[in-house]
Amino acid sequence: MAGDHVVIIGNGPAANEAAMTLRERAPEFRVTIVGREHVRQYKPHLLPALVAGKITEEDLFVRSIAFYQHAGIKLRLGQEVVDVDFDTRRIILAHKEVLRFDGLIIATGGKPRIPEPLLVFQDVMMTLKTLTDARSWIDKLARVDCVLIVGGDLTSVAFAKTLVSLGKTVKFMVDEHGFWPLHLGDETRQEVARRLASGGMELVPCRKLRGLARLSADEIRVETDCGRYTVGAVGAFFGLVPDVRFLVRSGLYIEKGVIVDENLMTRYDGVYAAGDCAQVYHPTLRDYWVSIGYRNAENLGRIAALNLIGGKVRAETAPESIFHVDGVDIPTSWWAEI
Amino acid sequence: MGRVDVTMEVCGMAGDGTIAAGGLLNEAMSAGGFSVLGFDSYPAEIRGFGRCVTRSRVGTERILALVDKTNVLISLDDVQSHSRVPYLAWDAAVFFDSNPPVYVEEEMSLAARVEPGATLFAFPMADLAAAAAGTMRGRNLTALGGFAAAFSVPRDLFIEVIAKKFKAKGSRVLDANIKSFDAGYAYGLEHFSDRLRDTLKPPPGIKTGPEKVMLSGNLAIGRGALDAGLKLYFGYPITPATPIMEYLAARLPEKGGRVVQMEDEISSVGAVLGGFYAGARSMTATSGPGFALMTELITHGVMAEIPAVILNAQRGGPSTGLPTKTEQSDLHAAVFGGPGDSPRIVIAPTDVEECYRHTVMSFQLAEKYQTPVIVLTDFYLDNRVENLPMPQATESEIADANEYPDESVRGAYKRYLMTDSGISPRSIPGTEGFTFSATGLEHVEKGTPNYTEDNHMSMTEKRHRKIAGALEDLPAPVEYSRGGPLDVGVIGWGSTFGAILEAVNIANERGLNVGALKITSIFPFHGGVIRAFMNRCSEVLIPELNYEGQLANLIDHLHHKDVVRLSRATGVPISPSLILKEIETLALAGA
Repeated sequence: MAGDHVVIIGNGPAANEAAMTLRERAPEFRVTIVGREHVRQYKPHLLPALVAGKITEEDLFVRSIAFYQHAGIKLRLGQEVVDVDFDTRRIILAHKEVLRFDGLIIATGGKPRIPEPLLVFQDVMMTLKTLTDARSWIDKLARVDCVLIVGGDLTSVAFAKTLVSLGKTVKFMVDEHGFWPLHLGDETRQEVARRLASGGMELVPCRKLRGLARLSADEIRVETDCGRYTVGAVGAFFGLVPDVRFLVRSGLYIEKGVIVDENLMTRYDGVYAAGDCAQVYHPTLRDYWVSIGYRNAENLGRIAALNLIGGKVRAETAPESIFHVDGVDIPTSWWAEI
Repeated sequence: MGRVDVTMEVCGMAGDGTIAAGGLLNEAMSAGGFSVLGFDSYPAEIRGFGRCVTRSRVGTERILALVDKTNVLISLDDVQSHSRVPYLAWDAAVFFDSNPPVYVEEEMSLAARVEPGATLFAFPMADLAAAAAGTMRGRNLTALGGFAAAFSVPRDLFIEVIAKKFKAKGSRVLDANIKSFDAGYAYGLEHFSDRLRDTLKPPPGIKTGPEKVMLSGNLAIGRGALDAGLKLYFGYPITPATPIMEYLAARLPEKGGRVVQMEDEISSVGAVLGGFYAGARSMTATSGPGFALMTELITHGVMAEIPAVILNAQRGGPSTGLPTKTEQSDLHAAVFGGPGDSPRIVIAPTDVEECYRHTVMSFQLAEKYQTPVIVLTDFYLDNRVENLPMPQATESEIADANEYPDESVRGAYKRYLMTDSGISPRSIPGTEGFTFSATGLEHVEKGTPNYTEDNHMSMTEKRHRKIAGALEDLPAPVEYSRGGPLDVGVIGWGSTFGAILEAVNIANERGLNVGALKITSIFPFHGGVIRAFMNRCSEVLIPELNYEGQLANLIDHLHHKDVVRLSRATGVPISPSLILKEIETLALAGA
């Protein structure tokens, strides 16, 4: 209805594509994006290049703030949703503001996954999911020369290369949780390891990280199943998991992500989820799946918006693609079982 | 760190500690070595409701004026702060309480109104203050703590100024305030991951030169009067002049003087004339409505040739007008107000240091020229604070400037002796053989009334001759330019001049050929100097805070073509950007 307020929680590719679709198809709606980070949408895959100093922060951004202003999309950045009441259709923000909605798209994306056995070391490890993370890396790398990369995911290889290009010593440990959610066979794993080693990284031949101890602000002792090391920083790269913790008591069905049907609708009318945070029912597979990747997120954001305004578009799996890890081709559907 | 230029605001409801927080912020920044210019805006009504805002501009270069856009907003009351949102820079930092007493709807939320480029620092100010100090009253300090952490302002800078402010209230109050500050500071260090690193960390070597103090225009006036040897202050409270009386009430008795609150402004100026008549340096301070009441007695001072120092702290008018807003609309009243041809001296400082120096100067001018001297300030200048080395007056600047009669004329003394300069030696009443006849009636040299045509003409000429001669002791206009022909010349007076100079500096940096002329002697004025400047300018622009263009009215006849008036009656200080825009338009049109 004219004047209806659609709130989009999240500010990544799914959220922004949803907003643009709404603006295009339903210009009479009031559209608000609520994002936890202080900055407008950016391309996370360019964060390693930012850390390397090859690009500026401005190069990361997808659109200018003026674009949103002209488009009539209210951007509320640096603001965190802590609860949603679906019965009264109210969102509660961390600063005790009540934001009312008529339609809602949850597109909070993913957050860095830390495997449960390693959660105890969470405070010692650094991630590279956000611009803030990148700024922290830039600060850190000004002071340290040796970095241990643990895990391995879509970002880690590019980042490790960045570190090498900056003249840093890089130790790469493809541990037992590495390259989740992809399942690498031993042969593929060895090939990936060989390529990484030829790229100037020192491959740590271990599978288990047993301990991390901060000796000083820029010195960390690493214990593995095959030896001890001292490094300046430890980067944890284990992929992403849906970032939906704030919804666990909201009444939504949540398993790993927000459970939605093939049209991306939740159990509540007018409430949709899209992107990395959505756990989508696949009628052919008769199971729930989570998508990964920027393009998939955009696609789901668009579908959620179309369905919110009365469409009946099904979320389809993206065509199979190839995941390149430093020259090694790994076929994947870009959909992963979680 | 490069050049720093940051404008900050604290906004809250009256009673929130807004003004106190803004004051501490200014003091801390000053202690860090930055140049500071601050200005408070508060409601006309007494405590309990209404919006309070402190604005401070802080920088590594000398700050000349306030600017349009605010880089940092510290909100102590989000509803009040709504009005400040339009003034925020697109990338402003906004500090506000994340845990208000009740949930707020979107329409009432500050966070909902800010532009997306802003960085929000939401934190539980009141809760932190209550937990740290047992009371939420210190949440203004907690807010400052969060700000300090976010901007990397050293904690010690704030602790030092908090101690200075609260130590007189006892250790319990001081401790509570420090704890409140520390609670916000610790929270900020821990949680503000996007903090604006080093933005306001004083760069090494910034603290050079003499120690600076924070002075408001009003305080500088009070201090200047004290240093000049003021003996008697008579006044009636009125915004924005009251702080002068408050300051002198505390300090003047220590120096053997007296402050007397009179029943109204008429009696105040009458008492000032009486004080000076008796030989004691005396003054009063008022604002437009009070000044209007004084005008008849001011002209009595002109006619009887009795010194007086009258400070008119202008505010928005006419009548009661806008008591807590600024305006420069009493120039006509100061120069021409009152019955008859009644020339008097009118001077107008342009910054806080000049508030001191012009106040000091006014006493000698009043004594030497035996006339009321009107010092014109305005709400913005009176209430703005600047950090500067404490001004000092020299012995010669405060020396007795009276011209006493020669002993040889004892018994034949003529109080209104006709002289070339128009200055007649002035006796102290009660001195035998030197009868001082003070009358508002036209008079002859001895002082006895006389209404003949020739006498009135010659006595009127004498009084005008005397005031015209004061030019030699009045500060000449000061030019700021590269010299030679100018595309645009900007002439200014009073509090507006800082904004003019900043606009002119920027215009020149942008490749224009622009100059500024500062006029502090409003009447009499240096017509030759002003005319020479105007004649070198293709266009002359006069920005001022009144509707009628009152300075322009006074001097535009000096120019061969109409001056361009930028007259603003908005109640708020004029911004450099507005003047710059006008300069650029004029320069472009003339190119």
